[in-house]
Amino acid sequence: MARESFDKEIQFLRMLALTSGAYNRQQYADKLGISVHTFDKTIKRLKEIASSVHQKLPAESGKEFAETMRYSYLDSSDPMLLFLFRAKSLKETESQRLSLLLAALHGEALTAKELLELCSVSMPSELSLPDEKTIRGDLKYLEQVGVIKRADRARPYRYTTNHDLIQNLSNDELQDLYDFVDIMANTQLPSVQGYLLRDGLKKHIVREQSDVDSTSSFLYKYHYYSRILDEGHLFVLLHAILSRRWVSFIYFSPKKETSYASKNTNPLFEKETEGQQDTLLPIKVIYDHQYGRWYLLGHHLRSGIKKYRLEGLTQISTGETADEELFAAKSTELEQRIQHSWLIDTGRKVTVQVRFFHPGPGIPNFVKERVLLQGQWGTVTDESDETFIYEIEVNGTIEIKPWIRSFGSSCEVLTPLKLREEMIAEWKEIRGYYESL
Amino acid sequence: MNPFEKIFNYQILSRLEDSGTMIISKHERGWLKLMLEHPTAAVAFDSTTLNKLHTVLELELSLDTSGLLHKAASKERHVYHPGVRIIRQAITSKSLLHISYLKKNGQPSNQQAAFPYKLEYSMVKREWYLLWYHIHNRRLMRTRLEKTLELVLQACPETDSERYTAIVQKLLSKRSVSADIVIVPEYNGELSRILYAFSCFEKEVSYDAEADTYTLRLFFDSSDSEFVLSKTRFLGKRVHIIEGEQLRRRMLESATNALARYAEPID
Repeated sequence: MARESFDKEIQFLRMLALTSGAYNRQQYADKLGISVHTFDKTIKRLKEIASSVHQKLPAESGKEFAETMRYSYLDSSDPMLLFLFRAKSLKETESQRLSLLLAALHGEALTAKELLELCSVSMPSELSLPDEKTIRGDLKYLEQVGVIKRADRARPYRYTTNHDLIQNLSNDELQDLYDFVDIMANTQLPSVQGYLLRDGLKKHIVREQSDVDSTSSFLYKYHYYSRILDEGHLFVLLHAILSRRWVSFIYFSPKKETSYASKNTNPLFEKETEGQQDTLLPIKVIYDHQYGRWYLLGHHLRSGIKKYRLEGLTQISTGETADEELFAAKSTELEQRIQHSWLIDTGRKVTVQVRFFHPGPGIPNFVKERVLLQGQWGTVTDESDETFIYEIEVNGTIEIKPWIRSFGSSCEVLTPLKLREEMIAEWKEIRGYYESL
Repeated sequence: MNPFEKIFNYQILSRLEDSGTMIISKHERGWLKLMLEHPTAAVAFDSTTLNKLHTVLELELSLDTSGLLHKAASKERHVYHPGVRIIRQAITSKSLLHISYLKKNGQPSNQQAAFPYKLEYSMVKREWYLLWYHIHNRRLMRTRLEKTLELVLQACPETDSERYTAIVQKLLSKRSVSADIVIVPEYNGELSRILYAFSCFEKEVSYDAEADTYTLRLFFDSSDSEFVLSKTRFLGKRVHIIEGEQLRRRMLESATNALARYAEPID
């Protein structure tokens, strides 16, 4: 069976997170390239997952669903969109069985035979009973994902849940671990596995020390919380990079109107897909902190270095292994080309010079502080008591421009002249918006 | 490493919760192993705990993120701060803190009785802030952890802590403001980029299909107005604040002053 794809759910939640209920059902379905029926089915399924995870029932419509997310966002550091990663579908019997096995192995070591007996006693009567082969298959899977381990080497093997990580920790140490996991999951990348661990530790701590809530003291501002949706694709790509494998996918440019299209299995109804089929040797995944977006960069047979937004990738599959020499050569080339990219621009290098103005006597110098914090590899030279010069060699000016503009009247572009002129023209236009005041 | 494992399934999760069973997968341990390589781990744990964790994770495969690059990130001032532990204890136990800190003018403050209610990490400035209620001045305060000089925990009677919590809630709700920002329809082609830039805010988006116009309503704490303005300037002529008098006035001021900077041509 092909691996279950979560493309539709990812696109769906992304649109929900970004547009926060701006569209009605029909508009929403149109933008996603799916039918209203599929839209309804998807939201029903996501709602089921979200309500089971958050125990807060989001309403039927996209708008109210979005509101649930909105109101939960700033009060806590619980990642609202994490429930996407809980979406793997599972037959009722399998989820019953796995839960039963895990509960039985919690703090106890049992053999496959003993577990089989347990199932025959404890499985709900309407579900079919597993045979020994099924149980052994389950144990193999659980051991492989590391949630259980063999208790000792004696045969027949006895299994138990793998709690080594927290077993020898005191309550205080456990709290320190929770704090660390919470902080790292929120401030570092990737986050998903950390959020899952945080979730488990949180429930464990609340169970053990139910009298105080020690798990909600932190807040993270301002977070691009939809960034974790792209982690759905991240690991396939990181793995492909590591193993030098080509990947194929259908790409929907985020600039297009439709961001997804259902896969038609009936050839009679097959529409021409609006996405573009592509094959790439992936070299780097880039996270852009300025917008909270992800990119995939790699080597394309016809076009050389090619860049994609991760959010536009669907139906990713891994293919042949590439020649190590080819990978090394393309990797070096790419690294050189993006060395001076503010984000991912591989255009011509220019020197940008900006004069910054201190906020004035008696006011803390937040301008310089911010330039030093965010100015990447640019250099800062004091010019006078009121000003300093920031200089950077960067590929093109398009990507750095918004950052410079965000400083408002605290700066003045000196070179290149073209950027200076663009800045003047933009400020004139912006002033026009507010002149009626 | 597939983040969509069967074992993470929501039905399994809720059943395990019912039976009080905790599971930790190799995915999570591999992630933790990677995070423990960060220098901040040495600040977050005492050495005994850190050694225990390293020993337990010795045979785990660390998550490999060598293919991942970061761009346009702020420099990390700190990730964990040594003050975090005692403040978290204070918040959890609803205690008071006696704090002194360096004021904005660089002078040390006197010791103040504080009721701490949150620890906030700024993803923009990459550092921690203590959010607290100034009991004497009856004001909400926000202090960089880096600027704190002394933090002393002191128990607080429950009746007092409940009263302070209620006051904090009331003051916070007073500070909550909103602004309406319209995306100039000419730039709808850049919708995705613009929405991403604002995706860090609590917001509502409305769409007028007839005029093909998107309007964003951002909700934020009034003390964060500067950040909203900086984001708005960041997007330049693509967006336009239509509701929020004070912010509109500031945008006009910015544009006027910026143009004044350019009044003199350079040689």
